[in-house]
Amino acid sequence: MRVILKTRPRKKPHVPIEAEGIIPQNFLRKNDLTVYEGNRERNLEDLFFVTVEGPAVSPDQVEIILTGDTGRIKRVGEYMNAGRIIIEGDIGMHCGNFMSAGEIIIRGNADAWLGREMRGGRILCEGTAGDYCGAGYRGEKRGMRGGTIEVMGNAGDFVAEYLSGGEVIIHGNCGDLPGVEMRGGTLVIGGNCSRPCGNMTGGTCMVIGDPGELLPSFRRNGSTEVEFGGKKFRMAVFRGDVANRGKGTLLVKEEAIISRSGRDERL
Amino acid sequence: MRIEDVVCPFCGCLCDDLVVSVEGTKVLSVENGCTLATEKFTGDHRLAHPIRRTGGAWEKTTYDDAIRETAEILLDAERPLLYGWSGTFVEAQTLGVHMAELLGAVIDNTSTVCHGPSIMAIQEVGHPGCTLGQVKNRADVIVYWGANPIEAHPRHMSRYTTFTDGFFVKSAFRERKVIVVDIRETDSSEIADEFVKVTPGGDYAVLTALRMIVRGKGDLVPATVSGVTREQLFRVAEICLSARFGAIFFGLGLTMSRGKSKNIRNAIELTEELNRHTKFTISPMRGHWNVYGSNEVFTWITGYPYAVDFSRGIAFYNPGETTSVDLLRRKECDACLVVASDPGAHFPRACAEHLASIPTVQIDPHVNATTHLSRIQIPVAVTGIDAEGTAYRMDGVPIRTRKLFSTGYPDDVAVLGRVYSLVKEAKG
Ligand code: SF4
Repeated sequence: MRVILKTRPRKKPHVPIEAEGIIPQNFLRKNDLTVYEGNRERNLEDLFFVTVEGPAVSPDQVEIILTGDTGRIKRVGEYMNAGRIIIEGDIGMHCGNFMSAGEIIIRGNADAWLGREMRGGRILCEGTAGDYCGAGYRGEKRGMRGGTIEVMGNAGDFVAEYLSGGEVIIHGNCGDLPGVEMRGGTLVIGGNCSRPCGNMTGGTCMVIGDPGELLPSFRRNGSTEVEFGGKKFRMAVFRGDVANRGKGTLLVKEEAIISRSGRDERL
Repeated sequence: MRIEDVVCPFCGCLCDDLVVSVEGTKVLSVENGCTLATEKFTGDHRLAHPIRRTGGAWEKTTYDDAIRETAEILLDAERPLLYGWSGTFVEAQTLGVHMAELLGAVIDNTSTVCHGPSIMAIQEVGHPGCTLGQVKNRADVIVYWGANPIEAHPRHMSRYTTFTDGFFVKSAFRERKVIVVDIRETDSSEIADEFVKVTPGGDYAVLTALRMIVRGKGDLVPATVSGVTREQLFRVAEICLSARFGAIFFGLGLTMSRGKSKNIRNAIELTEELNRHTKFTISPMRGHWNVYGSNEVFTWITGYPYAVDFSRGIAFYNPGETTSVDLLRRKECDACLVVASDPGAHFPRACAEHLASIPTVQIDPHVNATTHLSRIQIPVAVTGIDAEGTAYRMDGVPIRTRKLFSTGYPDDVAVLGRVYSLVKEAKG
């Protein structure tokens, strides 16, 4: 089954839409889905032109296609457990919150909290992602726990905060403090960032580009070789964050240029 | 008439020992207060009556009309924002929260531009704090981090720290050590025993290095960390470790610089680390007068201290998403009520521009930068001068403010109460 949701023009296009109902399992049977536009509850049809093609007997046969002005739609794919969502443009915050299986493909950019506390499945974002990609909710002790998030462009600050499992791959640059409080899982940064892995206690983070500066609380622990994007790199291995009795692993290219604090004597 | 024990309505210190002389509705003199207090009491350019913008010009309107129109604007909106609250008393703040729930609005206070990140950090790792009385009577090491009390909280040092003796600190001058950490020299750093100058944005790494030293991992600390030498870091750690009672106060230099809430979290974790060896506490230097009260009120009603979104009927909180600056920058709001604060002066330009493009109503005694962005302004009495109510000091101690005299102005509760009744009537 293919469900096409095309946005209708709105009088106030900046008011956010909260649409946690847009997940494959909800389209198996015809039901009256509602979404919120600001503080008003609306029928799905009030905000979208809805087209349904073909049948489906289980949610993994459902594919949802979102098109139009989708950058303000929040919580799409929340608690999704099967099937596929394709977003042709940008998507609002909290896309793929808590998803456990299935696939989300975003052709444009994703706003903050992409894949927040995700448990499984896969998210591919072809554009850029906002802050807190793969992180947790405020005060939550665990961020993403399983699955994969892959971002082809850049991502914002605090990427993979409290990452506890699964894999986050950012091909471009990250902002400040990626992998902060990280406790498990894998974070791969293809580009640059600053202050990776502050306060980490576990997991593995690898920075292929310039890490901006390294916190003093990482202890050098040999070297290794890794492969990323079909190329091989010699990486310096660090353990930390020792300020937090951390046992995480941070890999930084041995010939990395540390732009912010100059050459680091540990490299 | 001389009135004693007057509570200052300006900064988060809420000094309660002012002596104010008044004649009728005029303040003649203020004793004990700092210059900020004197200015607050005497330099009073009040708006005389409610005003309303028609076309490009202001016209006089009545309280009845202004209140009715305010209710209509808020009821009409799909994403209304109720912002401010730090300059008024808790009874008015309470009404604001209940009104936000009825309206399905977002309610936010000025923490959003000051100590919001501190609260986020406290939510992650807790808050080893204490009252200012404890600091005054016990602390022999004081740390001001990213704060300049001499300018922003002029009497903080003379009432609670450097310049005042306490029960267990008989001679503050000899017994209290002061450490100031900042990115530049300030009036406060000049009187410090130890001034730690950090390169901008480098606080996080310095805090991490101190944590390492206190934890016995100092061997890893490099020769300099964000502009601070290894020797000085060890010296500072030693001063802290040999304290009988240490108190860290931090300001916007820490909350609003690179790393934001993570800086505060790191500072709290340093405090926890120090508590394995001696007694240490940490407290934010809250700026806006009763901003702490707004956090208290929001929390006791909704469970969250600021940036509370009621659009789905239940309280939702997520700084970065439901905070005013973010809402306005994304142009989400379609109406705004500003109470007792001045976002026109403190918000980024894009946010102020959006406020000007939507119906914004301001409830405030004075003409300020927000007036120029508003459609309607309703003047009220000034809490602590011609209105009384409860406010919270920066350390969470509630203090009842006094009313010095009566003017004809209604107070915030009177005006908000009438808007609330109209909203309640419409919502059934
Ligand atoms: S320090 Fe603050 S509360 Fe005390 S008198 Fe000055 S402005 Fe008022």
